Amino acid sequence: MKLVELARTVRSKNAGPLKLSLDLLFDDEAAYHRALQSPALEPAAMARLYGRPEGTVEILPYPAALAVKIVMDRLVVSGDIGDRDVYGAQQHAPLLDLEL
Amino acid sequence: MSAVGKLLDRRAQLRRSLKALGASGQLGYGIPEKSLAAGLGREPDYIGADMGSIDPGPYYLGSGELATAPATTRADLTRLLRAARKLDVPLLIGTAGSAGASPHLEKTLAMVRDVAREEGLRFRLAWIRADMPREIVKQAVRSRRVTPIDGMAPLREAEVDAADHLVGQMGTEAFCRALRAEADVVIAGRACDTGIFAAVPALLGCPIGPATHMAKIVECASLCCVPGGRDPILATLEGDSFVLESMNPERRATPMSVAAHSLYEQSDPDRVAEPEGVLLVRNARYEAIDERRTRVSGAEWLPGAAPTIKLEGSIRVGERAVLLCGSCDQRVIARISDILAEVSEVVRGLVCRDEPEDYRLIFRVYGINGVYAWPTPPDTLPREIFILGECIARTAERASAVVRTTKQYLLHHGFPGRLSTAGNIAFPFTPPELSAGTAYRFNVYHIMQVDELAPLFPVEIEEL
Repeated sequence: MKLVELARTVRSKNAGPLKLSLDLLFDDEAAYHRALQSPALEPAAMARLYGRPEGTVEILPYPAALAVKIVMDRLVVSGDIGDRDVYGAQQHAPLLDLEL
Repeated sequence: MSAVGKLLDRRAQLRRSLKALGASGQLGYGIPEKSLAAGLGREPDYIGADMGSIDPGPYYLGSGELATAPATTRADLTRLLRAARKLDVPLLIGTAGSAGASPHLEKTLAMVRDVAREEGLRFRLAWIRADMPREIVKQAVRSRRVTPIDGMAPLREAEVDAADHLVGQMGTEAFCRALRAEADVVIAGRACDTGIFAAVPALLGCPIGPATHMAKIVECASLCCVPGGRDPILATLEGDSFVLESMNPERRATPMSVAAHSLYEQSDPDRVAEPEGVLLVRNARYEAIDERRTRVSGAEWLPGAAPTIKLEGSIRVGERAVLLCGSCDQRVIARISDILAEVSEVVRGLVCRDEPEDYRLIFRVYGINGVYAWPTPPDTLPREIFILGECIARTAERASAVVRTTKQYLLHHGFPGRLSTAGNIAFPFTPPELSAGTAYRFNVYHIMQVDELAPLFPVEIEEL
């Protein structure tokens, strides 16, 4: 099953100019737990998907909002030469095809 | 009596129920009229608005320019000043002029004075600078009281001197001092979003945890709702808990939507670091009152051992010129990365001759890798691509010269299999090369530990 079939929201945004925060929001407990248990959402798998060094991606479950937060370093500091996405609002694309 | 004096007189009552209107999450882009009127109709005890953020990037902090248009900014300020004076309640605005350094603050204050004069409004204005004295920051660097955030390099004294603007984020404490000076209107330089809305509750003696949590949410106006939006939001702080209600009837503050907002733009959903301590929201509870209102409780406040200030600095890196063009030739599209590398090489030879390269020329190819740095090309080629060429050089003339030569040699570059020998690219208009002003980068993003916050954020008073 694809992540987008389970998640209500898949979004990305800067958390400060050096960090990227990807939020997955789910409608119900079942979808939230199903996603959280998937090996595809483990830190190492997420690091591979985003081409980041292993150990640099954090997965933070937030049960109060049935949400999972994925935090990683931005490749380029926001607005530096060569940046592609100053707000970091379009970095969720690889998640849209993610198979859980 | 001042607006804040009146609140202090009703202190006992307001500790049980205090109404804050979050008028805008980014003042200057326009406030929806109908929902603002609805919010004012609820007679809030104070009005707050955030006016800036670090999100739009280093340009605004570096240049001293506003991200918002002057006319729209002025219109928003007019609405809020008029409303706050009519209700005779405090108005607090944080991160004046998009980035909160002196030029931003001055431009905002000039508008405030103008509006007051034209509208015949009389009030006591407080303004708070957030520019950090360089000597104090360098002293802190020397005494190892400055630490990098999120992988920034350790701060060097040279960077402190070189920053075009260097600000610190003030907290609730600075807004409280302005209110204690009986200000009716507070215009703050760079400020934590929470300070704007937590100061009045703090002054009245409300519990800090829930007040700060409320502040963190309402500074984004109705963004915590479904559907999220820019309409004003009303928060009613009732001691240990608070109730959220959007002033647009179509937006619902649900337990899920409000809880999810804790994640927004935060790398840690459980903790929010502030100058005076840490807000812990792990044990927060979100309960629906009805389908449009949610009650929030349970946030805790952990006072910090020593005050800390988040520093932000931005420095000029050069002048920027850009080239805008596209292609729908599959032969060009298939070879585009080679073509751009080859053209870059040709351009370097032409504009540098035997001198070393004195500029940066980079391309983003929309349709291939413009938005996201995909590790591999797409499986099927796009029908069209858009090419954004960008040059950063020491002067605008130099950047423009590089881009102009790039344009011409990209248009006529020969490659194996080329059919369209009259031109590889299409220009949407002329000139297709534009000067894009000065480019900046963040060179300071650090935490500085201080003994005292107050001397770094002086409050100044002016009677209008």
